[in-house]
Amino acid sequence: MQKLVVIGAGMATGRLLEHLFEADPAAYEVTVFNAEPRGNYNRIMLSPVLSGEKSYAEIVTHDDAWYTANKVTCRFGERVVAIDRDRKVVTGERGEVPYDKLVFGTGSDPFIVPCPGHDLDGVVAYRDLDHTNRMVESAAMPGARAVVIGGGLLGLEAAAGLRLRGMEVTVLHLSGHLMDRQLDPAASYLLQKDLERRGIAVMTQASTKAIHGDGHVAHVELEDGTELPADLVVMAVGIRPSARLAREAGLEVGRAILVDAQMRTSDPDVFAVGECVEYAGHLFGLVAPLYDQAKVLAKTLLDEEDAFAVREVSTKLKVTGCDLFSAGDFAEGEGREDIVFRDPSRGVYKRLVIEADRLVGAVMYGDTADGNWFFGLIKDGTDISEMRESLIFGPAYQGGAAQDPLAAVAALPADAEICGCNGVCKGRIVEAVEGGATTLDAVRAETKASGSCGTCAGLVEQIMSVTLGDDFVLPAAKPVCPCTDLTHEDVRRLIKARELKSQPAVWQELGWNTPNGCHVCRPAVNYYLLADWPLDYRDDPQSRFVNERNHANIQKDGTYSVMPRMWGGITTPDELRAIADAADKYGVPTVKVTGGQRIDLLGVPKEQLPAIWGDLNAAGLVSGHAYTKGLRTVKTCVGTDWCRFGTQDSTGLGVKLEKMLWGSWTPHKVKLAVSGCPRNCAEATCKDIGIICVDSGYEIGVGGAAGMDLKPTEPLVKVVTEAEVFEWVVAFMQLYREHAKYLDRPYKWLAKVSLDWVRETLADPAERAALNERFAISQSVYQYDPWKEHTAAEQERRYQPLADLTLEAAE
Amino acid sequence: MDTVIDTTDRTFVEVAEIWVPEGDRLVWGGGAYGGLGGFEVASARESFGKGEGLPGNAWAEARPVVLKEFDGSYFKRTEAARAAGLTAAVAIPVFAGATLKAVLVVLCADDAERVGAIEVWAEGDGVLTLEDGYYGAASHFEWVSQHTQFPRGQGLVGGVWSAEAPILMRDLGSAYRFMRADSAGKAGLTNGLGLPIPVPGGRTYVLTLLSARSTPLARRFEIWDARTAKVGAKKEARLVDGICSREGPLWDPDNAGRERAVRIWQGPVGHALGSGLPVVESGSAAGGYAMMVALPIHAHGELSHVVAWYC
Ligand SMILES: Cc1cc2nc3c(=O)[nH]c(=O)nc-3n(C[C@H](O)[C@H](O)[C@H](O)COP(=O)(O)OP(=O)(O)OC[C@H]3O[C@@H](n4cnc5c(N)ncnc54)[C@H](O)[C@@H]3O)c2cc1C
Ligand code: HEM
Ligand code: SF4
Repeated sequence: MQKLVVIGAGMATGRLLEHLFEADPAAYEVTVFNAEPRGNYNRIMLSPVLSGEKSYAEIVTHDDAWYTANKVTCRFGERVVAIDRDRKVVTGERGEVPYDKLVFGTGSDPFIVPCPGHDLDGVVAYRDLDHTNRMVESAAMPGARAVVIGGGLLGLEAAAGLRLRGMEVTVLHLSGHLMDRQLDPAASYLLQKDLERRGIAVMTQASTKAIHGDGHVAHVELEDGTELPADLVVMAVGIRPSARLAREAGLEVGRAILVDAQMRTSDPDVFAVGECVEYAGHLFGLVAPLYDQAKVLAKTLLDEEDAFAVREVSTKLKVTGCDLFSAGDFAEGEGREDIVFRDPSRGVYKRLVIEADRLVGAVMYGDTADGNWFFGLIKDGTDISEMRESLIFGPAYQGGAAQDPLAAVAALPADAEICGCNGVCKGRIVEAVEGGATTLDAVRAETKASGSCGTCAGLVEQIMSVTLGDDFVLPAAKPVCPCTDLTHEDVRRLIKARELKSQPAVWQELGWNTPNGCHVCRPAVNYYLLADWPLDYRDDPQSRFVNERNHANIQKDGTYSVMPRMWGGITTPDELRAIADAADKYGVPTVKVTGGQRIDLLGVPKEQLPAIWGDLNAAGLVSGHAYTKGLRTVKTCVGTDWCRFGTQDSTGLGVKLEKMLWGSWTPHKVKLAVSGCPRNCAEATCKDIGIICVDSGYEIGVGGAAGMDLKPTEPLVKVVTEAEVFEWVVAFMQLYREHAKYLDRPYKWLAKVSLDWVRETLADPAERAALNERFAISQSVYQYDPWKEHTAAEQERRYQPLADLTLEAAE
Repeated sequence: MDTVIDTTDRTFVEVAEIWVPEGDRLVWGGGAYGGLGGFEVASARESFGKGEGLPGNAWAEARPVVLKEFDGSYFKRTEAARAAGLTAAVAIPVFAGATLKAVLVVLCADDAERVGAIEVWAEGDGVLTLEDGYYGAASHFEWVSQHTQFPRGQGLVGGVWSAEAPILMRDLGSAYRFMRADSAGKAGLTNGLGLPIPVPGGRTYVLTLLSARSTPLARRFEIWDARTAKVGAKKEARLVDGICSREGPLWDPDNAGRERAVRIWQGPVGHALGSGLPVVESGSAAGGYAMMVALPIHAHGELSHVVAWYC
């Protein structure tokens, strides 16, 4: 009988031995070494053991009786330390064993972030039963706190288990969304919500700096200075194939042990299976492909033909009540198309990615019933062009007629709930419609349906259409873009009413039909979120137009213009010198005085932007935001300081207004002017906000324009003091910021809401005060010079011309 | 398997019976009585109005009700129960939305050896606290439970609450919310089944059945997931967790979605699935166990889970 020595009693070698003994129990005399002091168990079920939802006994795959029955010599709790391939012996900690054939099944080692304190007591990895038991022990201490580093599959299963055990748990994740390798941000959003509902705190973009403690871990320090108290730190940031032993034995090793399709290493008598293997550039981290490898190797060892082939894998999270499924590739790309289905009320998100009539990826959360069916389509490369329309509804719908949404609504029983918020069923709505409510508003007034969150408004309208037949014309409200049926106004209202504070929250809760919006809705939603939740939402540069991303105005020839602020149009010789020096130094071809009383340097190449702004910043000049949907310039006349007609200090007022308002984002650009008397030298009457000083005070006009449309301002209010001017102007700005549709200039917005409504609203001093307060909060976040942070040397790279992209992508 | 071991013939729950609404009364819908024929006869001719007797109370109060003492209570079958040695009972209403589908009543016999607990936890002020419970001989554990509360996500009951799904815990003894764990360990309680009991009005109730190694609550447990989100439009349920003293683990070892499935009307679990009512069987219909109970849970407008236990 030949001698087979196996290193590692893991999931892959366990399966290998099963196949081997089944095919030919007499072929080999087997010795198994295992560093862990036990035989093969179902490692993937450690998570339910951690949570208490399984016992260790239940997950043992091969018990003592099995090893005995198959005459396996077990050297458990003994690590293999060396291999002598010339003598064909394996050296364990307790002695040598000769082999004819040798199998590596050493699996992976958990990766430990080498930050200070990683070796403290209380820091554990998550790979084996001993780790699991250590975690269970930590959870036994009343009020114990755990910090889990890593928001991937393992980290989240650890977090959920520890929470169930009674710990206070925080998950730290480096990237922007949980399980970023298996999920897109939309699915992650739902997962995070589910975990938070379990009392687990989640911090994304959280980078660990150090772990502190005197012998035992006490707290975790993040890069941003946050300190999290901890009695247990679980490191679940990734795995590294365990290939050192093989490398030391002189076998060919890349990122892992290199094998051919028969699982043979560079030595014809040495084989490898499992996570310690690299095959055709692939590494492995889930069991399904390892089982394929085990089957192939069993054949190879019995001199039969077989070949391993890499196949797609799918992922599920083992947290009771969190249903997610992901398979294939769902990165966005050229020629790829998404089909998205969302059901906000059930917390369901499904996305299919199609390329060349084949399903290439699937992500789903909340409803995973069809996961395996989609997975099958991906694996088999099935042509799905025939069923494309109904694909997302799963196998149950295939072969049926395409769904008419009205037919589906008509088929709903009378007791089907339509408005979840107010518990209104279809029958009640039909009743109201038949009783004479023929507009959405009337139905809403009578039944409360769609009166709270509003997401069912479309459904209510469909019921009205079904009930009234031809008499009902679905209102042709213009949706934001093809990603949604909602209008800008709906979206704004719902973002506020439902406290949606992130883009994924908007996409999911408002049922967007694309994974993350498009070039039309993203800038709008980004604006709405930052305007409504300045403290919660983080501005997303990727959702901005190129000018706002680069903080400069792109010109016809691809160069940019640079325009520093000159408060109220006032400048100094020093500023002028700095501008002149910059123009000289960077060879600026054109220097122009603008219509807004600023000096513009035109023709600056993108890569020079950081440097030129560095120089200007040094001279005290900040960005003029000539490119933003935000405050542009405040134009002034010379006023009482110099003009004999002047009635008030128009220049000083303009300077103060500009210093107060700059940096704020608005639905569209906002231009101001202050004239010192009705002669109006600053042309204040065609600005978004124009102030005319008069003897008795200040006349504030709003809604002017001098672009494609020419419109004079309309009087908003007349006030006596400068302080009142500030109060009213800020209140108007903030009202505009909070209510207007993205890309509506104030005059367009006023045409929709009416000046009367604005006047009425602002007439209330409490309302004005509240608007001023909210504006101040927003300014505390957004009033900064974007160039200050961008001139830092490390940022400069971003502005270099794009080099070899392919190289960067491969890193 | 250490979770459920055949060490005794007597189990914690002696009798399980079903009461179904008929007109304005609850009538007997079958049950498993072991050797307690007298009590069965007394029960079969009984019926309850809303608020009457134990099942009628569970209906009227729309919550699980625990009765630890029959004497002097509204329990209607005190004589027969005493004759059968039964000392405590729990009534579990099965609601689908606002509609009462049935009331499941389980009865226990008291003696010093039988350790186990049936508890009702209710939400208030954002945590779950013990509303009532039957503890048999585990009186210290009872005291601790009365002084413990569970936030979302913590422990068996907090876990059931946040997952909105039944959970079968194998290991209550080591580190299950400290005090309670400690005491559970002392009382010998090792495993527990927790299930949400949806009732009209939206108040959260979690029912737990805790059992000890020496007197197992059951020899086989099953949790079947029947949500559309899990099984699609198919009328079936999937065995997402389970353990059996004969067959061992009943779950999918590869986490690959290849769980066992039953279609509606297939076996007792399929009956619970098809009818939406609890099913109690004995003898061969109970898979050779003395008794089996399949309890459906209706949540979010659908039959979401079936929990089954076999004694
Ligand atoms: C908590 C957890 C949850 C998981 N969940 C899933 C899941 O849901 N689905 C999925 O597909 N996968 C999951 N995985 C991954 C899966 O467990 C692994 O892919 C699989 O176990 C790898 O099998 P293996 O045989 O290659 O290595 P292992 O199972 O790790 O076995 C390797 C064995 O080799 C031993 N060993 C290493 N070096 C030596 C040496 N020098 N001498 C002697 N012995 C040695 C080790 O002690 C170990 O016992 C999970 C993993 C963990 C840790
Ligand atoms: C973790 C700490 C505790 C331990 C280890 C412990 C241990 C015990 C033990 C072994 C018993 C007898 C066993 C039994 O009857 O089940 C008991 C009974 C009791 N303990 Fe505790 N106990 C603890 C905490 C407490 C606390 C904090 C209180 C009250 C403040 C308390 C009150 C009681 C009472 C009232 C009984 C009698 C209950 C009865 O059996 O009827 N215990 N305890
Ligand atoms: S607007 Fe009046 S105050 Fe200002 S410069 Fe012209 S004339 Fe003078």
